[in-house]
Amino acid sequence: MATVDSTVRAAAPAGRGVDVAAGIGPYRLGLRRLRRNKTALAFGALFLLIVVLCLCAPLYADHVAHTSPNANHVTDTVTVGGVRKDVVSPTGQPIGPTWQGRFLLGADQNGRDIAVRLLYGGRNSLEVGAVATLITMVLATLAGVVAGFFRGAVDGVIARFLDLIWAYPVVLLGIALGTSLALGGITIGPLEIQGNSLMVPAFIIGIVYIPYVAKPIRGQVLGLREQEFVDAARVGGAGPLRIMWSEILPNLSSTIVVFVPLMIANAILLEAALSYLGAGVQPPNPSWGTMISDGIRLIPSAMHLTFVPGVMLVLAVLGVNVFGDGVRDALDPRARVRIEDVQEQAEVQR
Amino acid sequence: MQVRAGLLSAATAAVLALAAAGCGGGDSDSNTTSAGGGAGQEGGTATVLMGTAPDYLDPQLGYTTQSAEPDWITYTGLLTYRHASGSAGGELIPGLATALPEISRDGLTYRLRLRSGLTFSDGRPVRASDFAYTIERAIRVNWGGKSFFTNYIDGASAYDSGRADSISGIQTDDATGDITIRLTEPYGAFPNVIAFPSAGLVPRGTAMRNLSNDPPPGVGPYMYTQASVNRGFTLERNPRFARFDIPDIPTGHLDTIRVTILSNTQSEAQRVLNNEADVFDAGDTLPPSLLPQIESQAGDRFSREPIPSTFYFFLNTTKPPFDNEQARQAVNMAIDRDAMVRLASGFLKPSCWFIPDGVAGHPGSDATCPYGDRPDLAGAKRLVQESGTAGTKITVWGQERSPRREYVDYYTDLLNKLGYDAQERIIADEVYFPTIGSGQTDPQTGFADWIQDFPNPSDFYLLMDGRSIQPTNNQNFSKVNDPFIQRQLNRLNPVPATELDSVADQWSELDQYTARRAYVVVYGEQTMPKFFSDKLDFDAALFHPTYLNDWTSLQLK
Amino acid sequence: MTRFVVRRLCSMALVLFAISVLTFLIFQAIPNGDPAQRMAGRLSSPETVAAIRRTWGFDDPLWQQYLTTMKKIFTGEVISYTQQVNVLDEIRKGLPATLSLAIGAGILWLVLGVLFGLLSAVRAGGLTDRGLTVLAMVGVSTPVFLLGAVALYFLAFKVQLFPNGGYVPLTQNPADWAYHMILPWLVLSVLYVGIYSRVLRSNMLDTMSDDFVRTARAKGISERRVLVRHVLRNSLIPIVSLWSLDFAAVIGGGAILTESVFNLQGVGQYAAESIQQLDVPPVMVIVMLGAFFVVVLSAVTDVLFALLDPRIRLT
Repeated sequence: MATVDSTVRAAAPAGRGVDVAAGIGPYRLGLRRLRRNKTALAFGALFLLIVVLCLCAPLYADHVAHTSPNANHVTDTVTVGGVRKDVVSPTGQPIGPTWQGRFLLGADQNGRDIAVRLLYGGRNSLEVGAVATLITMVLATLAGVVAGFFRGAVDGVIARFLDLIWAYPVVLLGIALGTSLALGGITIGPLEIQGNSLMVPAFIIGIVYIPYVAKPIRGQVLGLREQEFVDAARVGGAGPLRIMWSEILPNLSSTIVVFVPLMIANAILLEAALSYLGAGVQPPNPSWGTMISDGIRLIPSAMHLTFVPGVMLVLAVLGVNVFGDGVRDALDPRARVRIEDVQEQAEVQR
Repeated sequence: MQVRAGLLSAATAAVLALAAAGCGGGDSDSNTTSAGGGAGQEGGTATVLMGTAPDYLDPQLGYTTQSAEPDWITYTGLLTYRHASGSAGGELIPGLATALPEISRDGLTYRLRLRSGLTFSDGRPVRASDFAYTIERAIRVNWGGKSFFTNYIDGASAYDSGRADSISGIQTDDATGDITIRLTEPYGAFPNVIAFPSAGLVPRGTAMRNLSNDPPPGVGPYMYTQASVNRGFTLERNPRFARFDIPDIPTGHLDTIRVTILSNTQSEAQRVLNNEADVFDAGDTLPPSLLPQIESQAGDRFSREPIPSTFYFFLNTTKPPFDNEQARQAVNMAIDRDAMVRLASGFLKPSCWFIPDGVAGHPGSDATCPYGDRPDLAGAKRLVQESGTAGTKITVWGQERSPRREYVDYYTDLLNKLGYDAQERIIADEVYFPTIGSGQTDPQTGFADWIQDFPNPSDFYLLMDGRSIQPTNNQNFSKVNDPFIQRQLNRLNPVPATELDSVADQWSELDQYTARRAYVVVYGEQTMPKFFSDKLDFDAALFHPTYLNDWTSLQLK
Repeated sequence: MTRFVVRRLCSMALVLFAISVLTFLIFQAIPNGDPAQRMAGRLSSPETVAAIRRTWGFDDPLWQQYLTTMKKIFTGEVISYTQQVNVLDEIRKGLPATLSLAIGAGILWLVLGVLFGLLSAVRAGGLTDRGLTVLAMVGVSTPVFLLGAVALYFLAFKVQLFPNGGYVPLTQNPADWAYHMILPWLVLSVLYVGIYSRVLRSNMLDTMSDDFVRTARAKGISERRVLVRHVLRNSLIPIVSLWSLDFAAVIGGGAILTESVFNLQGVGQYAAESIQQLDVPPVMVIVMLGAFFVVVLSAVTDVLFALLDPRIRLT
């Protein structure tokens, strides 16, 4: 693809003896810098808070709302301020926030408690995000390291493959795969995943982002393998696997660490986009994306259906984004922002 | 001075008189139908907004309500339906034929005669052989319902497979206008089949390919003057039609009807609400978010009209748990039809009968639902326990679009409340019916609907007919194969559609039997929005049970 | 130079081929996705379905079906499964909307992005900088369809300041066209403005402490000139490259979400609808077109940079 990277200095591997302060490792230095960045910490805490809240979903459902995420209450009533109100009106309008234990944030068209679904949905969205990030980081690192280290034909094949995924418009690839796999499920050897499992969108999102991470890693490995310590290791008799594992990989660690929060943010956003187009998390499993998508139909008369999950999603992504920025600044404050970082972030959101 | 004043007043009087005659109600001929007329204007233009594009505008290909609405008033067939609301609209009347068909005793031969002096909208004369050509064309271009022709008309199947180059079972005589159709087996609903818009006559020689963007000439009160199937089309009054004086087919009030495809029902509804467009297509779903506004601001130009349709959950009687009759009864006891109506934003008329209201054989108000009108969850749970099927794993199938998905969300939760272990599988609308109709899937239960092809109970009982079960594209999802039903169908199916009234009671008894056996869980029939701008006369406009808004009855106030 | 062009052309052809094969295979994997059954309708007999399969060639082996589809695409005769209309005609109809969205938003986000980035860098650490950064972060963290839906609610429904989506062709009524495009432009730009302003700010700050800038300052050149002549010019290079790639992606059907929310009936929306309807031909064409644009523009950008900056080698 573009060789523009040559005009932009890649993020220098941190900890290559940059800091002269006696013996402080790159990570401890980074941690110190991070601790001084109050904003990043605050937003990181916000994200953590959201995660914890979502993990407490069953507690909330059982003890506060007294219902479950998929339980319908279409013809039920709830008492608000002494008045009995329909959870869903005869013409299908769901009730808005009651600010009470039951239906704290209102109900949806099926009379399900939105607050409960918000928390369970958050669990699903975060789970998809986490698994997708894991898939991306593992496979991308693998691809990048192998391609950059071996070069030649191996590199050629891997690079073409990455180009293929890269050239395919992200959302289109996501929907196409999402639609197809939701209907058919995935069968990889003995592993069989049902079409409506959370693993399907996680798998798709994970795959779609591989080139985004693999390319810079490959670029970095290409540079690293020319360094003296690699030669030294080779002379010392270490095989390629050993070299990759103990020499190359550790030097990639800060790059990898920087990517993780960014990938989590992108994964959550892509899941929302896919769910909006019907190719993400499958019903009735709630997720922030599906809740927003369902709610958009009713925006004029029931704004809360879209607003509540929307705000939650923005806060979560904002939290992890700002924290991620802080981590990058901490690990290498002089790094220029890389083109690919920024570009892929744009692609998913169009 | 004096003279001029006199002339002036005479002229004024003349103008006023002419105006009065022109604006007076309706046409001078008696072709306007029962509920029409009134003091509306003649002429003018109206805009119709459609949220879903018609599948085709080509008459021999169209198979959705969006295509039927324009096609039935632009391509009249030998028979057509009465232009009336409610069940009266289900009555067959002669269209281009002189009278209803003469049917032989054995039900195999149909004789009709073409009216004389008819011409297509481009002036070409209509001949009896055009009917044969029209049917051949429908088969050749692969109309979605062509099996109605190939299954019943003698020689049609051979024509379809290329073994013959015309349909031997249709004999026509251009000189006399006689048309004789021979069937392979007696089929009571055959008159309904000839009344399909796809049997609307087109001239012999019309190209045998999709002409949606350039529709052929036809015979009808209106004709196409512009068409782009995904963007919109225009109908204008066919000046030749009024001269034919066909009784019971109105010539229309509006001069021009402009249809625009919007595919955003929100905008569509907004524009009609703001009187920027005139008709919200009845085949679309009114966005529920706008309902409160529409009901308060436009209550006098909005109503919900039922169409003969059945919305139900099928219960596969060949595998657990629904091979157990008690289990099926329990679900019928537990379903809350009020909840279903709310999920449909009010666009559902609750019912427990498979034959819907408006079709002969619908059990009347004196028949009571075998499992009650009100849900009895406790009783149903007990029944499930008794049946021994509690705890069975069930996969509930559903479609993506609203409110069908919401129906299945509710239904799955209900099954869980009853003591089953139910999970839903929602799949894309496009593949839904092929998937649940496939023997490989063999689904236990799920969403299904049937909107009438024509107002004949045999159309609905196809879904209960043991003979229609097939390994792919099956429509009898419950896999019903009941000897009693089969015996009744053998007797009732051959009764010609023109004599349905005489056997309505027997159909009703059959339907009540089916309900008792709980082969399906019927919850209601769909209602469609009739929603106009304030420029149109709302009450005078007819809502036809099969063709929705009857555009020939639209008129400006 | 010629070697570069030839190599790029080859790799482009390879990528397009691979993409078309991938798309084709993705849809083949769908169970019960048989288009013949859908085309035949619910009451169809097995014979009807079989006949449709024969006419459309669905019985042929996969590779043959792929070749037939590709041939139809290149001769311009490709027909969609739903409604059987010519795909290229439909794409042509949607192109004006997509182009309007892309060009308008592209200009807007470039200008605003550079402006905000400049402001942030110049007033680094100050309130303006903080404020703009917050806005940028929020912009980057909000899904575009959410922003669009909320914007429509507040600005088109509650207060009828803007129309409720839809597209009016430029040739029909320029004022109305702009009126309908303002919200989509703004919503689509929000994301990019956030990204570009941060990139520019970051690059400018780094460049501002570079040696050649210090030299310029030492020589006595005014701060303003230093800023514009040296710092900005250098920092803009990556922005321009980013812009061209993003722009290409938007044209290539990438702005699906924006087009869907505002119902612009553009190429992206057509692609999304086709996928949902499991309609393979349009998807293949659009995906290939999009990839084509991206590849071409990235190659052009590389050439431009090689010409502008002699330090870059064309590999």
